[in-house]
Parts: sequence; C-alpha cells; structure tokens
Amino acid sequence: MDKLERLLNLTAALLHTSRPLTAQELRKRVGGYPEAKVAFRRTFERDKDDLRSMGIPLRVEPISGTDPPIDGYRILRSEYTGHNLQFEPDELTALNMATNAVRLDGGATGLLKLGGSTTQLEAAEIGRVPFNEKLALLITAAAEGRAVGFTYADLDRLVEPWRLSFVKGHWYLAGWDCVRHDQRLYRVDRIASQVDLRQHATQPRATPTDPANLRMWELGDEEPQRVRVMVDADHVAYFCYLMGEDPNHYDPATGITFEVRNVAAFRSLILNFAEHVEVIEPAAVRADMVRWLEALT
Amino acid sequence: MKTQMTATERMSRLLAVVPWVVERQGAPLDDITTRFDYPREQLIKDLTEVLFFVGVHPFTPDALIEVDISDDIAQISYAEWFSRPLRLTPSEATRLLTAGRSLLMHPFATTDERSEAASPLLRALTKLEMALGTAADQAVEVQLGSAPLDTLETLRTAINQQLKTEIEYYTFSRNELTKRTVEPFRLFSDKGEWYLQAWCHLANDERIFRVDRTITAQLSNEPAREPTSTRNRTLEPQKDNPRVLLRLHPSCAWVTENYPTVSSQTDTDGNLEVEMLVWSQDWLERLMLRLGDQAEIINIDAPYSASLVSTAAQKVLERYRELR
Repeated sequence: MDKLERLLNLTAALLHTSRPLTAQELRKRVGGYPEAKVAFRRTFERDKDDLRSMGIPLRVEPISGTDPPIDGYRILRSEYTGHNLQFEPDELTALNMATNAVRLDGGATGLLKLGGSTTQLEAAEIGRVPFNEKLALLITAAAEGRAVGFTYADLDRLVEPWRLSFVKGHWYLAGWDCVRHDQRLYRVDRIASQVDLRQHATQPRATPTDPANLRMWELGDEEPQRVRVMVDADHVAYFCYLMGEDPNHYDPATGITFEVRNVAAFRSLILNFAEHVEVIEPAAVRADMVRWLEALT
Repeated sequence: MKTQMTATERMSRLLAVVPWVVERQGAPLDDITTRFDYPREQLIKDLTEVLFFVGVHPFTPDALIEVDISDDIAQISYAEWFSRPLRLTPSEATRLLTAGRSLLMHPFATTDERSEAASPLLRALTKLEMALGTAADQAVEVQLGSAPLDTLETLRTAINQQLKTEIEYYTFSRNELTKRTVEPFRLFSDKGEWYLQAWCHLANDERIFRVDRTITAQLSNEPAREPTSTRNRTLEPQKDNPRVLLRLHPSCAWVTENYPTVSSQTDTDGNLEVEMLVWSQDWLERLMLRLGDQAEIINIDAPYSASLVSTAAQKVLERYRELR
C-alpha cells in the first residue's frame, strides 16, 4: 500500500472515531502496516510525526479502564478545521502577493489550505525577513494574550508579550516582565531556551517601546553624563543619521552633545567612525577612551 | 513545479484539494494543478489510484471516498472526513500575518493598500487576526529598512523613470564619503536594511549600496541605460576574501549575530573562537577598536597582519594627543 494511502486512511479513521483508538486498533482498522511488532511501532511513530508535521492536531488520551494506562489516539473535527477561515479570491491573491514579496525564512505559509491562488504572480521580491517557530509562538502568545516563560540573560522570565517588532535586522519582544514588574524589551535571538505558553495575561497593555528609537547609550544604570563629541565634516551626515539626530543640530564649532547612561555602548558606537569622531568632554569619558585605545597599542 | 513529491507533500495538497473540489461540486483538473501547485500526472494518479481507495473500516464501497474524472473534471464525493480544510497552524497563520504586515508597512504601499475598504490585503489580515486572537492586530510590526523616506522615494523614481542619479555615498568599510553617478535598477530589503542595486560610474561596475548610507540622492534628467543584470548580487564578502580567526570574550557574542562567520566554537573557558571573512581592512580595524581588549586576533591571512589593531588605535590616539 502506498504510504500516502495509509496516512489518509489513518487520518480518516482518527476523524471518524468517537472514542480514542489504541495503536493496535488502528493497525487493524487502517491496514497497510508491517506485520512485525517492532516494525509496526516504528512505522506508526513515523506516521504520527508526519501527521503532526502537516499541522494535523493529533490527540493522545489515555484509554479509560486500562491499567497500566494505554494511549489512545483521535482527531477532533473541531480542532482539525479550527477557525473556518473563508477568504475571497482577491484576498487570497493579496496574501499570495505578500508572501512572494516578503520572504520569511523557512516553513510553509499555509496558503494552499486556504484554497491556493490562481494568480501566478511574477511579483518582485522586495525583502527577506528572518522567521522561526519560536517567533511564531511569541506572536501567537501576544495575539491570544497569554504569558510565556523563557530564559534570557541567564534569568528565568515570565513575560506577557505585547508586540514583536522587526527593526534594523533583529526581532524584538516588547512586553510585561511579571517577575520584575516592569515593561521590558528583549532580543528574540537572545532567548536562550524554549518558549512555553503559560497562563492568560493579566496586566493591562501599554504602548510598547519602539525598538527603532532605542538609543543604546541611554540604556544603562550609570549617572547620566553630557558627552560632547566633534565629528569630521564628511562624516556628520551619516553619524547623525546613525545616532538618530538631525544633522542641523550639529554645530561645526562645538560639535554635538549626548546624554549618556552607558559609556561602553556610546564608545562602541563612536568607534565605528575611528579617528573621525572625538570625545571632547567630560574629561573622565575622554580619559576612558584614551585608556581603552592605549590598551590596544 | 515539484518533480518528486514526498507522501506528506502530496497529502497536504490532497487535504486542501478535496474540500475545494467538494465545495464546487467538481473542478477542472487544470484549475487544481495551477491552484495547488500539483503536477497533473501526479494529481490524476493520486486521485484515481490512492484517494479512490481511502475510507474507513471495513472499506466496503459505502465506506470509501468516490472519485470520478470525466472530461478533465474531477468529482469527489463521500469524503466527509476531509470535506473541510485543515486548520492553519499557528506557525502558518503568523507567517501570513507577518508577510502581510510587512507589505502594509512597506514605504511604497499605496494608500489603497492601507485603507480597509479598498484593500484585499487588509481584509485578509483582519480575518487572520480575528482567528489568531483579540490582540493580533497589535502583535507584529515589521520595518524592512530604516532609510530616510525621501531618499527611497527619489531612488524609486529613478528606477521607474530610468534616470541617472547623483548620490553622495558613505562607504562604511572605508569610512569615506564619495560622490557618484549611478543608474539604479533595483531596491530591496535584507536583514532590516534597504539596498540599492545600481550601475556605478565611479566603479564602472554594478554595485550594491545601502540606502541609509546614501546621504543625498539627486535625480538627473539623463536617461539611464537598460539594466545590465537582474541577478541578485550577494551582500556578503566573497568566499576568497582573506580570513581572520578571533578569540572573543563571551560578552562579544553579538559579533557572530551581526556578521557572517565561517565557523564558530566555544573553548573550555567559555570564550568564542570565530573565523570570519574580512570585508576590508577598515572594517576589521573598527571592529577591533570596538571590541577592545575583549577580543584578540589569533590568526589572520595575508596581506593583513595582527598589528593592524595597534596601528589603528594609534591613529585614533593621535587625534586625542593633538593640542586643541
């Protein structure tokens, strides 16, 4: 029997049944499985993985009255179909165009399930955006209003996600940190552990910080210092753009001043411009820069 | 189109094809083939030689799906198990939402695309969001790039009208500002930045420019030539560039997230040993200045030498030692 036929029969049997079926019952009802016990088990396990990989919500429930308990399997029709999303043809075409124009890394978009699309578009790809399962889970949690647990910077976190933003090449999670009782921003690629869905969110949503406006040198616990720098004329425009400043705020005679709460981050940013940017004051920050550079000579 | 499909690829398609055909009470084979990206031969085989035998125990005729193909029209009946489409997984739904949101936030999205009544994309996203959860409309935001809008707009006009364009460009890897005449032919986003692919008169070659480093862009009224190539140029350094092997303190792990690496491993002290391609000497110098004593060059290919770090630091220090 063709593997496809067995998988379809298995799915039909699991949808058809009104009670969970054991592996042995399925073996009899579906057919097409190897005779030998070990080979059957291996094939059956693989079939379950295949169903799950297609997004089929396979339920595993203990069969009542068995001791030791035996696993039973079935698929609930309501879970199989989920929301009955009905899209108009022009909506499907629009989604098809969006997925062609913006390529997300890995994985299928599920457009086929919605009825595919007849318009074969030669739409130009305008961009690529990284994407993965962890992100899908975080977006789902934000959409459903569920808390998530994960490890970040060596600490266990319990977070109510508000928004996932892709900014300057990185995905950020903005949300409420339930342990630290504060709004926080996390880099998704630095979430070190699995993400698991937890209880429903309780904290009212606020407007999340926009990662695009993040000024790394302002994110720190140091006493704020006003740091003045001079920039070579050729580099003013790009320097100001990178620092999120209007180039008209740059005064050729005195330079430009920033409020700095994280000297290390500030130093790292301005060293992108090597000898074309110079820290003028305060003396302590200037001396820190000199020390940093001298350590390299 | 696929030449060899796996059982799960065929099954995913069939589970979508069946409800679609059932709902329409029959559909032309050619329609199914294009719509579901299902090669015709394979489709016919799967319908007549597989689906036709699918059903439930005891597989008597009344417990089997019925498939009929005549005049190139497929009819499917008694398939109630599969008569509704399979749900979108959270991963699929969030992917669609993210792609759609990206396009809506694209700086060239027309007002039509953004206003609900006119936009099929917005209608589709609203349906998806309702399925995903009450806060789904706030859940994702994508910025394809961060360049100034007016520069993007100028470059787009240059592409559409095929005009030569004067740009002032900041070459980050050499830390210098140059004026160039370019003939733009493609704008695209990669890793959150906008790029321009253009013929460059200064280099007398095709080049890729970061739009956020294009300080000014001025349209000329001279026509540009036809695009020389539409190949998608790579943004990464060439594989035959010299390589550098760095030892990095764990706090410098961001380096491996920001630049392509050849290899990366962690030693017994938790330090990272990372091999990278060198884009240019200036690029490496500035990276090393930023990393300070948290990084060390273990090995570097000719023509570069590890002494470039101290030379670069010296050069910056000279500026600090000049009398002001």
